[in-house]
Amino acid sequence: MKDKLLQFFAITLFIIVIAVTTSITISMYFINARSWVFYLSIVCTMLLIVLFVYIRIIHKILFIDKIEKLHAIAENFKKGEFHLKVGQIPGDDPFAKIYTELLSASRNLENIIKSQKIEIEKLRELYTNMMFSMNAYIVVLDIHNTILFTNDLFLKKFQYTPQEVSGKNITELFYFLTGTVLQAIEEIKKTHESIVLEKAHLISNNRITVIADIKLSYMISNNEPQIIMVMDDVTSKTKRDYQISLITRLSEKIQKDDVLDHVLRTILTAVTSGTGLGFNRAMLFLKDEKNNVLYGRMAVGPDTLEEAFAIWSSLSPQKDKEILSRGVNGDDVHGQLLKEKVTSTSFDLSEETIFTEAFKTGETIHVYDAYHDPRVNDEIRSFIDVNEFVIVPLIALNKTIGIVIADNKFNQMPITQDSVDLLTVFAYQAALSIESYNSLDLLKKEMEKIKQRQEAIVESEKLAAIGRIASHIAHEIRNPLVTVGGYSRRILQNITQNPPDVQKIKKAAQIIMTETERLEKILANVMDFTRPSPFLLKFNNINDIIRDTASLLSNLFQERRVELSLQLYEVPLIKSDFNQMKQVMLNLLQNALDATPPYGVVEVKTYADDRYVYIDVSDTGTGIDEENINIIFEPFYTTKTTGVGLGLAIVKKIVADHNGEIKVTNRERGAVFTISIPLP
Amino acid sequence: MKKILIVEDEQHQRELYVMELQEEGYEVDQAANGKEAVDKVKVNKYDCVVLDIRMPEMDGIEALGKILSRDKKVPIIIYTAYSNYKSNFMTWTADAYITKSSNLKELKDKIKELVSARS
Repeated sequence: MKDKLLQFFAITLFIIVIAVTTSITISMYFINARSWVFYLSIVCTMLLIVLFVYIRIIHKILFIDKIEKLHAIAENFKKGEFHLKVGQIPGDDPFAKIYTELLSASRNLENIIKSQKIEIEKLRELYTNMMFSMNAYIVVLDIHNTILFTNDLFLKKFQYTPQEVSGKNITELFYFLTGTVLQAIEEIKKTHESIVLEKAHLISNNRITVIADIKLSYMISNNEPQIIMVMDDVTSKTKRDYQISLITRLSEKIQKDDVLDHVLRTILTAVTSGTGLGFNRAMLFLKDEKNNVLYGRMAVGPDTLEEAFAIWSSLSPQKDKEILSRGVNGDDVHGQLLKEKVTSTSFDLSEETIFTEAFKTGETIHVYDAYHDPRVNDEIRSFIDVNEFVIVPLIALNKTIGIVIADNKFNQMPITQDSVDLLTVFAYQAALSIESYNSLDLLKKEMEKIKQRQEAIVESEKLAAIGRIASHIAHEIRNPLVTVGGYSRRILQNITQNPPDVQKIKKAAQIIMTETERLEKILANVMDFTRPSPFLLKFNNINDIIRDTASLLSNLFQERRVELSLQLYEVPLIKSDFNQMKQVMLNLLQNALDATPPYGVVEVKTYADDRYVYIDVSDTGTGIDEENINIIFEPFYTTKTTGVGLGLAIVKKIVADHNGEIKVTNRERGAVFTISIPLP
Repeated sequence: MKKILIVEDEQHQRELYVMELQEEGYEVDQAANGKEAVDKVKVNKYDCVVLDIRMPEMDGIEALGKILSRDKKVPIIIYTAYSNYKSNFMTWTADAYITKSSNLKELKDKIKELVSARS
């Protein structure tokens, strides 16, 4: 408006000046022609002045308009608006030029901003998508553990509305939070370093159980420290792993544990342990062949919601393992009522119920709505007292032996197919255990019979051995007795003669004495075997014992033209009785010598490994009959015409007294006796 | 005079039998094992052989077969401390099986019986 007035004023002034100047000039012309030029020059000067002013004013008027436009542009720019209405400042004055430049600049800026906006939008979309598509629950906390942000997945999983979450302390959101989570939050506030918690156990107030790997990171946003928790849900993976290990452990346990009750309880506990399959209760019914009923065998599960909470809050994967590894011994204080109820219930198999249907068809039945399902009768409805349950048959070797019924009575969680599948696996295990237990029972009885028979055989073998022993003793003793008796008779006859032949009597008495001594020796030998003298255990070099014995027998070997070859290697000292071991070597070498024909070789070899010292005594005789190889160490076994048959028995006894062993094998020519004595 | 062979590895017993049988009026020859006995049977003619079973070198059972293959008719008495060889069919070819006793009466009676049956 002001501009318009100014414009109007300027134009009016201009017209007045022109009019005045013209009228003055004309009047001057008529008044004085001489001064006409003078006046004209004044008028012209004035005209010029007015023109100058006019031009200034006009300019000013015109520029104001343009400046306004530029100003508006600047204002827009300030506001961050670069999208300008395309207009023009006429002319080619500097204003117009600047204006044009500004316009093009604004277009550029607008383009830049547009493209940046697109970029930002893209990023935004990306981040949003990431937030949503990331299979992780994200929680951002402030320094006081108050929740600043949670992603939708978190809300969805734990069934919270955004209002229920915002401004709450993290501990208020969870019924159960593994202690390490809170520790980690405190830790990260101090160290600012990322922490990863594996398999943290979370139960929300709505009893939603999650096992998550939690990554905690620290960040500063708007000068405020914040903690970001990214929870990676590993529940199903952990479940799977756990279930696999559960099955493995279970089958191990089943193999070890022969008490059927323990095995069944372990299975039912595994089915109901919180991180196992998530069933709240499990009941086992088995078929009673005699009465044709399904009778309640066992049940595991809490009786009340309080008991259920108590169980769940004490659950951890570790705890589950403990349950399995130590076995459930029936000292569970929870669920007494359920146990009593189940074990006092039975269902007649001749009746058509949903339980008998599952049993007869051998198929799993999943009941979703027991109160309206026509298959569920009132008896079962009141017995089970829950809307959703599952019946799994126990099938072992194509024979159904019972059913397992499981439900989520307390947390009312829907039963997933996954859980049903696993329950089926466990039911199979349970069925197998029951069957194998029954077979085992049978087997045990059979084993008992076999054991008795074996004992009878051993007994008769012992009798046979005693028979052999008696026969040998009889023979050994009879010969000297015949001699003694015979000569005694002769003495008696001789005495009655007149005069008695003193020489003959003397000779007979001499023989009697010799034979009596022989009898005594036999007895001493028998006694030696049955009652060995106490051992004197010292560290001896077995090679010394062998050399000692060999020198003792060297004349005998020479006489029989048998070579005695010693191959004695350095062996560790063994704790032994020198004389007893000498007896061993004496007997073995004597036997070897007797078995070896002239020009044969008897060889003694010693060697050792890290556990034993070995002595081989080999001969080049005829070897040992395969049928006798097991009885040669028995007392009174002999192939010799002279000898009691105690030699090898004594050898075996002494070796056994040294905790050693003796074996005999036949080789191409002759036999090899190998003694092994353990190192101390 | 009837000739008898005593086959026994135990020297004292052998000597006892020899003395006792000599006193009975027999001519008594002796062998310490089966091999010696077979050798003697080859050269001499006996009216009776008294054979022990358990002997070194060659036992009585082997000797029994060999003696019989030389002289089928010679009476043989198995005279052993072992009663269980009676069940061994190899001993059945002998004319008598007597378990050793300090009283030689049974042996003497049997020798008498077999020798007189021969003559």
